[in-house]
Amino acid sequence: MKITVSINLGGYSFNIDEDAYAELKRYLRNLELHFAGEESSSEILSDIETRMAEIFRARLTSFKQVINIDDVQQAISVMGTPEDISDNGGKTTREKFSTPGYHRMYRDPDNRIIGGVCAGMGAYWDIEPLIIRIIFIALVLAGGIGALIYLILYIVLPEARSTAQKIEMKGDPVNIHNIKDAVKKEFDTVRKNMKL
Amino acid sequence: MDLENTKAQMRKGILEYCILSVLSRNSCYASDIIKELKEAEVIVVEGTLYPLLTRQKNAGLLSYRWEESQQGPPRKYYELTDSGRNYLADLDNSWQELVESVNRIRTS
Repeated sequence: MKITVSINLGGYSFNIDEDAYAELKRYLRNLELHFAGEESSSEILSDIETRMAEIFRARLTSFKQVINIDDVQQAISVMGTPEDISDNGGKTTREKFSTPGYHRMYRDPDNRIIGGVCAGMGAYWDIEPLIIRIIFIALVLAGGIGALIYLILYIVLPEARSTAQKIEMKGDPVNIHNIKDAVKKEFDTVRKNMKL
Repeated sequence: MDLENTKAQMRKGILEYCILSVLSRNSCYASDIIKELKEAEVIVVEGTLYPLLTRQKNAGLLSYRWEESQQGPPRKYYELTDSGRNYLADLDNSWQELVESVNRIRTS
């Protein structure tokens, strides 16, 4: 027995297995990221959803009323993954896909002790935040200028909230692959914490 | 050099031209266009088509109308606009020139 989810895809209603739903949602989300820079991206996505609804409908019979993971994978192979759609002929897709890698300094809320300023600087220059913290503490002890600098940086630097910002903070190019990696890493951390 | 990449680049260049050529015969539903392009092996996955159609529509080369269908929601039927026809005529010429040039190079 499996739990199913009810979805509206391209104006049709489908019952879809839970795992198939997760796969479909991930796929559509990736497409959304892929077309994000495009004018009328929502129109492209809705055309694709309509087409997928058609593919699903062709696979349903009176004996098979629920969309399963095979149907979703089959539909994805027909429509193509974002990598297939950009059609750069294999290997080089990953590089061609990425937007020029922005590298900006943010406050890092995940590794913060006070405001995430030192953690953010550490992530930006790829050095241990501890070293920066020691420098700041030394500056605070040597006349208090460190506290002022910290306060200014806290105000000036934005906090890295979204996944894309966290990737920018570390200087990796923002593309679907490392957003996926980053989200997965975050998910694993949450899961580990819950087990403990 | 990467053969697959070179082939993909070639396909990419002519895809836009092929879409307009298919539509020049009669107005089409996206699935009809896909079927023809797949048979001719100029397209690998269907997802490639939709962004191109939308771009061509935004550029004023295509327009679409909604048509009722028996099997479900209304479908988008695409057709060439006048400026699309002029654009296609230009492409026809340059395609002809390109084929001739390539042939001249290959046989000389």
